[in-house]
Amino acid sequence: MLTADRVDGVVFAGAPSERSPGDRKPRFAVGEAVCTRNRHPRGHTRLPRYARGRVGVIWRIHGCHVFPDSNAMGGGEDPQFLYGVRFSAAELWGEDAEAPGDSLCLDLWEPYLERP
Amino acid sequence: MDGIHDLGGMHGFGRIEREANEPVFHQPWEARAFAHEFVIGANIDEGRHAIERLDPVTYLSASYYARWQLAHERLLIEKGVVDAAEIEARIARLKAEEA
Amino acid sequence: MNEYRSHEPEIALRVKALEQLLVEKGLVEPAALDRLVDLYGTRIGPRNGARVVARAWTDAEFRTRLLADATAAVAELGYSGLQGEHVVAVENTARIHNVVVCTLCSCYPWPLLGLPPRWYKSPPYRSRVVREPRAVLAEFGLVVAPEVEIRVWDSSAEIRYLVVPMRPAGTEGLEAEALAALVTRDGMIGTAAV
Repeated sequence: MLTADRVDGVVFAGAPSERSPGDRKPRFAVGEAVCTRNRHPRGHTRLPRYARGRVGVIWRIHGCHVFPDSNAMGGGEDPQFLYGVRFSAAELWGEDAEAPGDSLCLDLWEPYLERP
Repeated sequence: MDGIHDLGGMHGFGRIEREANEPVFHQPWEARAFAHEFVIGANIDEGRHAIERLDPVTYLSASYYARWQLAHERLLIEKGVVDAAEIEARIARLKAEEA
Repeated sequence: MNEYRSHEPEIALRVKALEQLLVEKGLVEPAALDRLVDLYGTRIGPRNGARVVARAWTDAEFRTRLLADATAAVAELGYSGLQGEHVVAVENTARIHNVVVCTLCSCYPWPLLGLPPRWYKSPPYRSRVVREPRAVLAEFGLVVAPEVEIRVWDSSAEIRYLVVPMRPAGTEGLEAEALAALVTRDGMIGTAAV
């Protein structure tokens, strides 16, 4: 039971999603180009349709984080490396990009990514 | 899930309506629905996915916290904490008391 | 498709019914829900983020720490917790303007900005800002010069983004508290200049 005296503890401690990677190493490096996979799972995923099959560059490795595609579906946390990936507007929106030199960043787990 | 929630880049939604000096909660029920999120017993990913699974018309037509309420009902039923009949019975009882 | 029936007319009743059941089943006590409403309704809000920004404007070493590890830096000021466990601060410069969204739902840095406004969670914002940020910002009254790159941050994981606006000209004499009063919630989302 959540009692009133425990609320502040819950709120201010938070619930970090980062987990230890153990012996695993990230597959991709900062500065590397990656391509998002053309995946269309029926279950939960955090790779938006507008960014599938697109090439971006990794700007940060955020560590290992709980993987929503598994955690939402009763598959457990299954932590995966999480990357900050930057895409150009031209890459996402093609010749209809509002300003081709603008960019967009998404945080994407390793199973979403492959080498171009 | 290639669902209605995946709105990035979708055309047709028009102007962004903004409210000056907007309250955090527009109605007391919104505040309660918000607070329930912390005790539904689902992880955050299950919570998001429950909202995503609302049918598209409901998703776009329901207000933000109404989506939370509907998702909470579904999660509690799926997890066996309450059953649908219990919820409907309690709603009916409250309606009768209000009448 | 089944005929759509709006839930809104009876939604308050549904919320009340669910709360009664949650309490009766021993999942929560009402005072705990009251405390949550109190915290997020009145105590956690954008004044937190504004203090972080003002500190970054006046303390170069803090700014460096903020840009390197925002989670730790904002914790120095006492800001931490749910939906702020992994914070990244992104600074606006003469060459880059940042704007934040969550296209898939409504992810937002609660400990720094409180709960998001309706427009941030709305389909128009979520759909349009990733595709046409310049048109969206213009609608908000912010015109970004063509030579400035707009960088949109779609919060697809638990990383939460705080935009650090540029310090306005003519504020050199102001103390941190007065500077914090200049920083708006929209400035920290990226839909305003400051």
